[in-house]
Amino acid sequence: MPAIRKVGVIGAGTMGAGIAAQVANAGVPVVLLDIVPEGAANRSALAEGAVARLLKTEPAAFMHKRAAKLVETGNIEDDLHKLSDCDWIVEAVLEKPEVKQALYRKLEGVRRPGTAVSSNTSTIPLRMLTAGMSEAFRRDFLITHFFNPPRYMRLLEIVAGPETDPAIVDAVARFADLAMGKSVVRCADSPGFIANRLGIYWIQRATVEAFDLGMTVEEADAIIGRPMGFPKTGVFGLIDLVGLDIGPQVNASMRRALPKDDAFHAIDREIPLIARLIAEGYTGRKGKGGFYRMKKHGPHRSKEAIDLATGEYRPEHKADLPEVKAAGRDLRALLTAPGRVGAYAFRVLASTLAYAASLLPQAADSVVAVDEAMRLGYNWKEGPFELIDRLGTAWLVERLHAAGMTVPKFLEESVGKTFYRVESGRLQYLGLDGAYHDVVRPVGVLLLEDIKRAGKPVLKNASAALWDIGDGVACFEFTSKSNSLDDQIIGLLVETIATVKQRFKALVIYNEGENFSLGANIGLALFAANIAAWSEIEKSVAAGQQALKAMKYAPFPVVAAPSGMALGGGCEIVLHADAVQAHAESYIGLVECGVGLIPGWGGNGEMLARWRADKKLPRGPVPAAAKVFETVSTATVSKSAHEAMDYKFLRETDGVTMNRTRLLADAKARALRMVEGYVPPTPPEYVLPGIAGRVGFNGAARGFFRRGLATAHDLTVADALAEVVTGGPADIIDVVSEQQLLDLERAAFMRLVRTAPTLARIEHTLETGKPLRN
Amino acid sequence: MQTYKAPLRDMRFVLHELHDSASLSALNGLEEVSPELIDSILEEAAKVCEEVLAPLNASGDEEGCRLENGVVRTPKGFAEAYRAFRDGGWTAIACDPRYGGQGLPHSVNKAVEEMICSSNLAFGTYPGLAFGAYQAIASHGSEDLKQRFLPKMVDGTWAGTMCLTEAHCGTDLGLLRTRAVPQEDGSYRITGSKIFITGGEHDLTENIIHLVLARLPDAPAGIKGISLFLVPKFLPAADGRPGERNGVVCTAIEHKMGIKASATCQLSFENATGWLVGQKHKGMAAMFTMMNSERLSVGVQGLGLAEASYQGAVAYARERLQGRSLAGAKHPDKPADPIIVHPDVRRMLLTMRAYAEGCRALAGWVARSLDEMERAGDQDARQRAADFTALMTPVVKALFSDLGFEATNLGMQVFGGHGYIRDHGMEQYARDARIAMIYEGTNGVQALDLVGRKLPQHSGRLLRGFFHPVSDFIEANAQHPQFGAMVQGLGKAFGALQLATAHIASKGLGDAEEAGAAASEYLRLFGLVALGFMWARMAVLAAEKLPAANSDAGFYAAKLTTARFYMERVLPQAGGLYAAIKSGKAAMMALDDAAF
Repeated sequence: MPAIRKVGVIGAGTMGAGIAAQVANAGVPVVLLDIVPEGAANRSALAEGAVARLLKTEPAAFMHKRAAKLVETGNIEDDLHKLSDCDWIVEAVLEKPEVKQALYRKLEGVRRPGTAVSSNTSTIPLRMLTAGMSEAFRRDFLITHFFNPPRYMRLLEIVAGPETDPAIVDAVARFADLAMGKSVVRCADSPGFIANRLGIYWIQRATVEAFDLGMTVEEADAIIGRPMGFPKTGVFGLIDLVGLDIGPQVNASMRRALPKDDAFHAIDREIPLIARLIAEGYTGRKGKGGFYRMKKHGPHRSKEAIDLATGEYRPEHKADLPEVKAAGRDLRALLTAPGRVGAYAFRVLASTLAYAASLLPQAADSVVAVDEAMRLGYNWKEGPFELIDRLGTAWLVERLHAAGMTVPKFLEESVGKTFYRVESGRLQYLGLDGAYHDVVRPVGVLLLEDIKRAGKPVLKNASAALWDIGDGVACFEFTSKSNSLDDQIIGLLVETIATVKQRFKALVIYNEGENFSLGANIGLALFAANIAAWSEIEKSVAAGQQALKAMKYAPFPVVAAPSGMALGGGCEIVLHADAVQAHAESYIGLVECGVGLIPGWGGNGEMLARWRADKKLPRGPVPAAAKVFETVSTATVSKSAHEAMDYKFLRETDGVTMNRTRLLADAKARALRMVEGYVPPTPPEYVLPGIAGRVGFNGAARGFFRRGLATAHDLTVADALAEVVTGGPADIIDVVSEQQLLDLERAAFMRLVRTAPTLARIEHTLETGKPLRN
Repeated sequence: MQTYKAPLRDMRFVLHELHDSASLSALNGLEEVSPELIDSILEEAAKVCEEVLAPLNASGDEEGCRLENGVVRTPKGFAEAYRAFRDGGWTAIACDPRYGGQGLPHSVNKAVEEMICSSNLAFGTYPGLAFGAYQAIASHGSEDLKQRFLPKMVDGTWAGTMCLTEAHCGTDLGLLRTRAVPQEDGSYRITGSKIFITGGEHDLTENIIHLVLARLPDAPAGIKGISLFLVPKFLPAADGRPGERNGVVCTAIEHKMGIKASATCQLSFENATGWLVGQKHKGMAAMFTMMNSERLSVGVQGLGLAEASYQGAVAYARERLQGRSLAGAKHPDKPADPIIVHPDVRRMLLTMRAYAEGCRALAGWVARSLDEMERAGDQDARQRAADFTALMTPVVKALFSDLGFEATNLGMQVFGGHGYIRDHGMEQYARDARIAMIYEGTNGVQALDLVGRKLPQHSGRLLRGFFHPVSDFIEANAQHPQFGAMVQGLGKAFGALQLATAHIASKGLGDAEEAGAAASEYLRLFGLVALGFMWARMAVLAAEKLPAANSDAGFYAAKLTTARFYMERVLPQAGGLYAAIKSGKAAMMALDDAAF
């Protein structure tokens, strides 16, 4: 089948609209259709309304406003012909087989044979959807099960029928992977596929056990969340998020679809409190509240939680469980903790892990698929088999037996083995055949995780490492806590430049943390400031400036490959790279002003040079400086890689990778393409507005102050920034060198770090994670 | 024989010139306080201390306290002295005017305390503890308790105590066993035994108000289950006068190394009636609000004794004729030169003087901060002062009491054999000084408080109040034509302190024993730098004043010389302390417990 160049989505509900948006995010045109509402003047009101909603949702569904223009809207009565040139049609309508099949029959008239048709069903088996359909349809049909929200959830479950053309499946999987950035997990045609099958069991188990053991909702969430590597919403917070009404619906559907001997039936019971809450409109965050709710008392709001026994709301009591604290990272200790806490942790987790093992082979063909589905579909840090490895299979099996719980065959057979092992540097998993097999990454996927397993770093210290990623390319990795930047990272970067010069052709800066880097370690900086270690702080700033400058002018290409947040110093590293290959989900910004500082590692100069080179700006030194002043003083952060280009944190020529797992390979390829004939950049010379510009920018800042939009200290910070971006004492005809600008930047930074309001901002941000407006 | 003259000139210098007492009037409730008012109070206090308290110091030590049938007899003259002290209003000076106090600032009170400690530390413990109890009740007691008890505690008719320690628990109060059982009328019945209760029983006042830490029946285990109770020796009758005897008796008094005229009692509470002060289970918090002031007072005890000992040693060194100056006879007309001509004797005298005057200056700074944290109009200023006070409290308590003991030892040394015998009273100062290193939290505990709690709080925010002014001063004065070298010396010691701080912050984070191993040296280093900062500031100030000073020229000139002595002969210890800190815990943790 040919590559997918246009996609059709039918059904403009949350899922359909979100899927359409993600197709558009990939730069691919998409047709979004829905029914004609009864008596509507605008026959395409549903699809159009959906796009309008997409533009407003938070977190944003579109990576850039431009993407919305790629969505063509319509209705299924007048516009089905718009699907005729689509290479893939996704159906996301009501979960009713008869409705879906009626639609499929309509499609038969318009779609080109050999184009893919998929359903986003989460509950209906494929065999039921294709029953009675034509052979041609059955050959082109598959299930593509996205997770909500489709932009951000990386899992895509694909189910192919026995008659589905493998080429169709491959084409859709490839598009979903490369263009939409999804990690594809192939599932058997069994109820709930993989993630929801296990997820529904887990939530139901955690709910009923909480009632049975008399846990409070806070306790249950404190046990089932963080300590197990699950999202901190735990169980009741998660139900509130998903909607209380969803549970009974999916439970009912599982009840009908699952085989009689499935372990789910034993815990499948209606919970009167939940039924009552739904009836009264307490359907969770989308309704009046759920297990938690926000209560308003005049201008104040406070969180309340429901008492599971009485069904009454009461003030939330954060659970402070010594058993959880004592167990720390030791999962066994948590599961064997005395009293209710240990009992609850054990009953929920052990039964969920056992259930996971029972899914092989009926729902999934390997532990890798199940683990990946739970990591990407439910945001678990580790999948169930990784968790079993942490507990020990023998230990778990023995405990399950002791508790009189069922032990699935696959689990019993695996006693004495781990589900994963590393053999000669390669990650392997335990197959259903009892033998180990290599975990094979798709072509074009390169993971630092795998490289690190296979070898030793070229360089390493406490906060960073340098890896050989093959073909003459080295990869610089931050390894500090939360990838915060410190003296060690800067030190190793300097060493790296010398090493790469001698032994490699190019350098990629990349890591596999949740975020590329949130910036400098402000905790260390604050402590240093509190003990007045000014010369040490200034040395650190100067060292960072010089290291990034050395990286910029190194005789080899440097490609930064950010994913997640690249803020402050993290952004400055991106700015100093010769080119960037960014994950589409990159949130980039110079946020120093938020903590009362300004960029100190050359970020100001890099931004000035970029805006100065923009031919669309009016001539003269002021517009570029004004753009930088505006972007930095407001601590602007891009909400995607595409948006980062608008702010010039990325260049138009920089690359964007949709799939996180392909980022390193793409960055490496980009670096290699630059090697031939590589010439380091020429140092910029700046013509800046000088004192008059600074006065003007300060005037603008004072305007915000007068309107109550800026504080007195914001003005101090803005003035320091204005001084730098206007070139300080420079006259408008002076040429300011890169080093002069760095010196100005450093001096202004040092002035700010000595002010009490800046230190108060840093402290507040460290202690609360929130900015302080002082 | 002991003699004492209150160092009023130096106190005025510290309060008015160094810490700008004129600006105290900007603080809430201190509008009427002026340098003139402070001077008159200090002069009056000096008279009482020199004329009434000092003459009883040696005799009180000689006689000690006696326990007779549950009644403690203080030494001869103490009761009369206490009456004069009380009639002079000295129990009320820093108390709230609402309860009859004079509402004077800590800044002044601590100076008066210094004089009391110099002249008769044992006597000073009685009103000192009463003031501690007053502060706890005033900040945490119910309005009813305050109205019933504070006026008489303020006017000195009643005294007070703090009952914390039990036989099996001192530092670790979480272990304490004394019980409190709630009664239907809202009172409590307290039962248990307390030891080391200063002023737990005596014949100076008609009633004694004990503040007792005890555990309620529903209390959580450990330090979070302790409540504070007010337990009077005599239950006040309807007319407010002492009525029925309460169930608290003194079963023994301790025989001690020093402060013998201070009754250190074992108290037995048996179904004693008491009332809750503050909230249930929050007794430690109630205690800790007055701890800053109390610990500063203990530091001032070290200062007071260093001053008294210095005065004795100087007088003796001038009079005592022995041998000749190493540079040749200075007084050929006499059979020998006075020993003050000898470098080593001067070393001892100047060390004592540099300690005393440096500590006085630092105490003035911290006392001022106590005033600001309680009375500044601006919330930020109160918070800054609270941060600074919290930081400096362990430093002042431990450093001053250590230096007080060192100084009194040096004082004995100047006297030679005559210091060791009792006639001159020099050994009494050393004996009296020793306890300050132990009570109100041993100096080891102070050091742990500094490195374990004060240093890491809010990423080092508490440190700012000290490090920033010192750093600013060094930056501003490092090139000073006259003081540049001195300030650079301070800069060097301050640099060692910064490095040591960063070292502990980074090492101690992962290994609490590393912080513990560095604690005592770190506190000393911190303290030496703090005194160095005071001396550098005093030197700059003295140099400014000197040209226009007529009768005071000698005072300022001596300040300059003593500053130089401190900078050149004492402060360089900072380098050695830093080296020791940096070496880490290995040397002290390696030896097996059994090998000791």
